[in-house]
Amino acid sequence: MSEISVENVSFFHGKGTPYEIKALDGVTLNIVPNTITGIIGHTGSGKSTLVELFNGILKPAEGRVLLDGADIWAKPKEIRNVRFRVGLVMQYPESQLFEETIRQDIAFGPRNMGLSEQEIEERVIEAAGFVGLGKDMLDKSPFDLSGGQKRRAAIAGIIAMRPDVLILDEPAAGLDPAGREAIFSNIMEYRKNSGSTVVIVSHSMEDMARYCDRVMVMSEGKLIMNGTRDEVFSKPERLAEAGLDIPQITKLMLLLRERGIEVDTGVYTSERAYEELIRLFKKDTAQSR
Amino acid sequence: MDLPFIKVENISYSYKGDGGVGVPVIKELSLEIREGEFVAVLGHNGSGKSTLAKLLNMIFSPQSGKIYIDGKDITAPDMTDDDVFALRKTVGMVFQNPDNQLVATIVEDDVAFGPENLSVPSEEIRKRVDEALRAVGMTKYAHHEPHRLSGGQKQRVAIAGIIAMLPKCIIFDESTAMLDPIGRREVMQTIKMLNEKMGITVIMITHYMDEAAMAGRIVVLDEGRIALDGKPSEVFEREELLRSMGLDVPQCAAIIHRLREAGVALKGDCTTPEKCAELIGRALGGEGRDV
Repeated sequence: MSEISVENVSFFHGKGTPYEIKALDGVTLNIVPNTITGIIGHTGSGKSTLVELFNGILKPAEGRVLLDGADIWAKPKEIRNVRFRVGLVMQYPESQLFEETIRQDIAFGPRNMGLSEQEIEERVIEAAGFVGLGKDMLDKSPFDLSGGQKRRAAIAGIIAMRPDVLILDEPAAGLDPAGREAIFSNIMEYRKNSGSTVVIVSHSMEDMARYCDRVMVMSEGKLIMNGTRDEVFSKPERLAEAGLDIPQITKLMLLLRERGIEVDTGVYTSERAYEELIRLFKKDTAQSR
Repeated sequence: MDLPFIKVENISYSYKGDGGVGVPVIKELSLEIREGEFVAVLGHNGSGKSTLAKLLNMIFSPQSGKIYIDGKDITAPDMTDDDVFALRKTVGMVFQNPDNQLVATIVEDDVAFGPENLSVPSEEIRKRVDEALRAVGMTKYAHHEPHRLSGGQKQRVAIAGIIAMLPKCIIFDESTAMLDPIGRREVMQTIKMLNEKMGITVIMITHYMDEAAMAGRIVVLDEGRIALDGKPSEVFEREELLRSMGLDVPQCAAIIHRLREAGVALKGDCTTPEKCAELIGRALGGEGRDV
């Protein structure tokens, strides 16, 4: 079980140019192993930069990134090994498919790890299975797949490296409701079977509320909230302040509170909202009798 | 002939699949849209909604059936290149990816690109560009480089480029899909303004149920046919049917449906959190109760 932590990390985009931006500003955090952690924040909040530091695609300007307590930049020449252990699925990963067949594309990572052909083949089939791509799809060209299938093939390419930590940056962006659902159930299934740690970066508070155990909120390069899903979503006012879209049902609860109705505003799942409202209506009926 | 602004009559369209076999995407579809309407088009991936948009803009032509836009038969065999040009001026289109639509190195040059191609006199172009940028709230970025803008800002520049051609109708093909919540809000407010203040007919293809709830009418496509057509409040009542087509209803509408099933009397439109709060508030507050 691998644990990622970052200590007092800062990062600049375009350092030394007139367009220098401080993307991360003294961030300290710890990804709890064997959980699904969600990272939210609006565009420019630093969330994508943060996850690119986790697997050494970016190097912090200040501070340290630790994997199981060891600084990943202690031996810069061995950074590749960190990338095999911490898999990062970037935004719109389907644009990075480049091989002639899906099979070759999924095999790219394991092949770079120096595995035997037999081991590679096993991993390709296993990873494709996790994302719901059948064997008949493997010899197709990426061009013959739908957008959602391409996305899943790209995710399989990372899963095939069997990383200890799987990071996905906006895995469901641009997909329809059924496609979103399919991607997330694949990820949940993968986590259940592999026991790995998963980090999901997303704009969608509804998805966060549904799938994540822990939630971190980034704003202007700083970590402003970090806790269990309940802890974070019980403070909808703070989320709104950070420029985030709170789940529709949480918004409904806040609107009811504004109307002077006594409701729990820390509600973020449909199930809880239903229970809370039914309780109100039952109480109301009892009183009017 | 008295025609609605857009009249689609029994059109079919197939893509060429493996070995030249046609894959039908639009099947004998008919649809009428009146001038000034705001219509959202919903449907899962592959339902034919983007194909429909491309048919309305003559990027594709139907293999059978007729499409009339603004009184003209755009499927007529004698359509000239000039006619197509005129049509695209009348019906503009904004696409999904904000990075693929901007061509110039300065925002205002990009907005001027369309009218320049229409040979609009230069003083007139100046006026149109300024007005278009003002309409989308991007005036202060007129001299910026498009690639330094946020996704929402890029889409607003793309919209300004369309407005500068003075269209009667704009089709948005998932124009918010790649934006963050703030960008989505900016673009949705712009779309509403185009429709309400400028009277432009809007056809908006989207995957987001809460965006569709803002339209005056929702058309749901399934397997190349129209499965539902009505006001958001009517369409979102059909939760089970929508789910069976791989779609959804806004979260708050789903809650109201469950409460109704449990016997709570809640009458009215429940497509937005504001409307739901109103319904629940009224039911609990005593005023106008039906219990």
